[in-house]
Amino acid sequence: MANSNALLTSLNGLAAGLFLMSSFGLAATRQMQGCLRFYITQSICLVVSALLLGLGLHAPDLLAVAVLDAVVKPIVIPVLLRRTVPEAVFRRREIAQVLNIPSSLLIALALTLLAYFLSGYLPPATGSLASINLPVGLAGLFIGVYTLTVRREAVPQLIGIFGIENGALLCGFAIASGLPLVIEMAFPFDMLIIALVIGILTRMTHERVGTTEVGGFTSLREGIGK
Amino acid sequence: MARSVGFNLLQVLFVVALAPLASGVLSRLKEIVQSRRGPSIFQPYRDLRKLFNKDEVVSEHASWIFRFTPYVVFVAPIFVTTLIPVLTNYPLFFAFMGDMLGGGFVLALGGFFATLAAVDTANPYGAMGASRTRMVGFLAEPVFMIVFFTVSFVAGSTIPYIVQQHWVTPLTNFFAPSHVLLVIAFIMLILAEAGRIPVDNPAGHFELAMIDESKSLEYSGPGMALMKWGGQMKLLVLICILLNVLVTPWGLAGGRSTAEVLLAAPLVLFKVGIFLLVLVVIESSFAKLRLFRVSEFLGAAFVTSVVAMITGLLSF
Amino acid sequence: MILLFILGLPLMAALISALPLGRRVAPAVTVATCVAVLVLTVAAALRVVAGESVVTIRNWIAIDGLSALILLLVATVGSTAALFSWGYIAREKSSRHLRRYYANYNLFVFAMLSVPMLDEPNLVWTGVELTTILSVYLVAFENTGEALEAAWKYSVLTIMGGAIALLGFLALYAATRGRYAEGAYTWRTLIVLAPGVSPRVLETAFVLILVGFGAKAGLVPLHTWLPDAHSQAPSPICALLSGIKTTVILYVILRLIPVLNSSGKIDVDEWAMVVGLFSVGIAAFLIIQVTDYKRLFAFSTVEHMGIILTAAGIGGAAGHYGAVYQILNHTLTKSFCFFAAGATLLAVDTRQIADVRGLIRTSPPAGVALLFGGIAIAGAPPLAVFLSEFSILRSGIAKQHYVATALLAGFVIVAFFGILYHLNRMVFGQPDPAIESAAPIRLPVSCVLTLILAAAPIIILGVYMPEPLHKLLLMAADGLTR
Repeated sequence: MANSNALLTSLNGLAAGLFLMSSFGLAATRQMQGCLRFYITQSICLVVSALLLGLGLHAPDLLAVAVLDAVVKPIVIPVLLRRTVPEAVFRRREIAQVLNIPSSLLIALALTLLAYFLSGYLPPATGSLASINLPVGLAGLFIGVYTLTVRREAVPQLIGIFGIENGALLCGFAIASGLPLVIEMAFPFDMLIIALVIGILTRMTHERVGTTEVGGFTSLREGIGK
Repeated sequence: MARSVGFNLLQVLFVVALAPLASGVLSRLKEIVQSRRGPSIFQPYRDLRKLFNKDEVVSEHASWIFRFTPYVVFVAPIFVTTLIPVLTNYPLFFAFMGDMLGGGFVLALGGFFATLAAVDTANPYGAMGASRTRMVGFLAEPVFMIVFFTVSFVAGSTIPYIVQQHWVTPLTNFFAPSHVLLVIAFIMLILAEAGRIPVDNPAGHFELAMIDESKSLEYSGPGMALMKWGGQMKLLVLICILLNVLVTPWGLAGGRSTAEVLLAAPLVLFKVGIFLLVLVVIESSFAKLRLFRVSEFLGAAFVTSVVAMITGLLSF
Repeated sequence: MILLFILGLPLMAALISALPLGRRVAPAVTVATCVAVLVLTVAAALRVVAGESVVTIRNWIAIDGLSALILLLVATVGSTAALFSWGYIAREKSSRHLRRYYANYNLFVFAMLSVPMLDEPNLVWTGVELTTILSVYLVAFENTGEALEAAWKYSVLTIMGGAIALLGFLALYAATRGRYAEGAYTWRTLIVLAPGVSPRVLETAFVLILVGFGAKAGLVPLHTWLPDAHSQAPSPICALLSGIKTTVILYVILRLIPVLNSSGKIDVDEWAMVVGLFSVGIAAFLIIQVTDYKRLFAFSTVEHMGIILTAAGIGGAAGHYGAVYQILNHTLTKSFCFFAAGATLLAVDTRQIADVRGLIRTSPPAGVALLFGGIAIAGAPPLAVFLSEFSILRSGIAKQHYVATALLAGFVIVAFFGILYHLNRMVFGQPDPAIESAAPIRLPVSCVLTLILAAAPIIILGVYMPEPLHKLLLMAADGLTR
């Protein structure tokens, strides 16, 4: 029993580590496709972590969530984005970004360290099995916020939002297992609507303005310049 | 005792003799993947023989460094070989002469001399290659450091023979995030350090785009042969460190009989072959990065190693 | 049961509006539904005032004084804005867009109604998230470059805020888990259990929610999306967003104040006052330099959110009463202001303050409405906002928060002059001769009707407070205290 638990801890740590790596990918990759792929990897790590925690903590609700998330996050949302967002947007490489990649990586690293120190302010994880989820999830959240601020393109910004949500959920699995199923189901459903609405918004913007580089939108600024 | 020294020499022999073969297999595999017809896997041996039979031309402006460098480049990997587990999973006679950090320094010494020699002849390409190698080296250095320190912290030792045991006792350590991420970071380092795609193209013939190759442009004859051989041994040594120290000790000889050690050789070779296949896949699926993108590649390696460190150290 | 009807009606209306039944059906259905919802909420609120407990599903859907007040306000603004939309959106040529507008409108109202009704904090998060997502399309409705830009900033910043707040809610849940009966996790439970929770965790959860939902409510420094979204959306939607949506989200933050107070180890009042005053101050000075009159009102919303939070931070029965009173007045007045701005936009077809002169002559109804709205929202004496702001200042002095009160008073005065300075130039002054000679533009009947209906409570509340409403406010203030 102790042995299998150690294995679960290791595997869960691995999922968390890869989760963190894909967060870095979200913040630093140049290509639109790559960004989406990193999001899918991150979601798969999230699902795997939920599965392992469900097994290790004997929490059937986490298993149910894992199954639900496995369908919604890495499969339905990317497909939805593919269908709503025009293909031309995805074909773009070399997406503009405010800061260059090495400095982005370093900032993301700094945020990770910050997350490690701040994770003590969250409620303790249920069982040492899940303790790695706290700092890593918090780091994913921070890096998602960072991605959102430095990205200038519509789809990577959206994926940054998903990154924040994934980070919050990775933490959440560790501290708040046993949520009523209605609520657990609300989260992925919520993400689904967000993907749909923002996907449509991206298409409208693409049709109307001809670009999805939302960072370049500056017509609405405070009056002094105008 | 004598047996231990003998095995140590056997390890050296293994690396010296089979390094050209590994490089031949690598290029052959690559050609198969890219559906081209290439030379046989023994071509590197023929090249070496040809080069040893040729005359050497040395610029009259070159100093002793230029002459001396091929020997350093050739000997450095041999020294490292005595420190690391190549065929056995227990420490041999010279194993405690230096730890992983020491091995890293010895390898770096070879690179250092190669760089000096490249500048020595005043060939413009040499200096260019030297400065580029240094750039890659500077960026790779912190990654090396973090990988080594994390490994030694997690395993509680800097001696490679002890480290390799840690990953499999108990087996769950094998799946620890720090272990897997360290392996990924180290693979990226090998790509950078041995001048493989996507950092550098070892098969390139265009001087302006070269990083590593341009340093040996001025060499000819036996000097060139030693430089090449040294480079091939360096790759094999790095692969051995990765496979035997960082990934698994599986396939290594556990017992002290000569037969077992000899049997380990084909097993290790098999492991090396598998890794070469991975390398070929990497090399065939990526394009060479522009020079200034190399920093991003190594930045990714750095991040990987730091994440390994964080997950390894702070979760204790 | 009544609460389920209130939730169900807008959903049904959304379905009907989405069907292709002709251009007149969707607005008519929407207005009718909203009025019906209003009647039902008044009935529910009266029952709350009478002391009955209005519980539909125990521990899940229930209302108390505070939620009844918010529910009432959502229904009120929902109805007036629906009426205003009738004339305002009629310009839209494509009836497909029209149907989508009304379907989305009803869903948006549904989401806002669900927030005060839900009793399970995690579900409240879902409701708040829905209010954001379902209004994105409405903000982008005009489909101009600027509207899309505004919708982008709006959705990205507020959804980010939602995701941050999610962690806060999960932390709250985790901190109290297992110490209440199965399925009885409510706002009330949180208050009861708060003393046993580690203050560090409780404060972290509060800060996460304050940052996350603060972004949604338009608190400085995450307010940057608000003037954009609240100026680019169609005017009835602006009225909903500015008047009630921000308030609904602030309501969720306010719900946490008694939780933290009952813990007894965290100075939540200080948090609320500092964040609130910061918003008031920044917004007051931003008001001075606007060039777009819808942005003017949008910044005024940021200011009012700050005032409400400050009042909640001042605390005490008087401070909390001031906060809920301000919520009431802000919602009624700000929605009126955006109706007035919409009428002005219809009349002059520009959003630039500099381009509008002598509105009172070119379009008397719009001019009068704009002037009245400006005076009311700035807080001129006989009107409702003045009363609530005054009561907040008085409670601040009574609780001896002299610095905070002085700052608040100063900022409110700056904002007062800022608003009136801009509106004065728009309403009076010499109109462009070319515009003056043209025939005055006739506003749609429904818009004029809305202006009258929406102005009535502002005037009445300034001089007379109906007894049940007063009691409801007292109960709501009580909900903030305990």
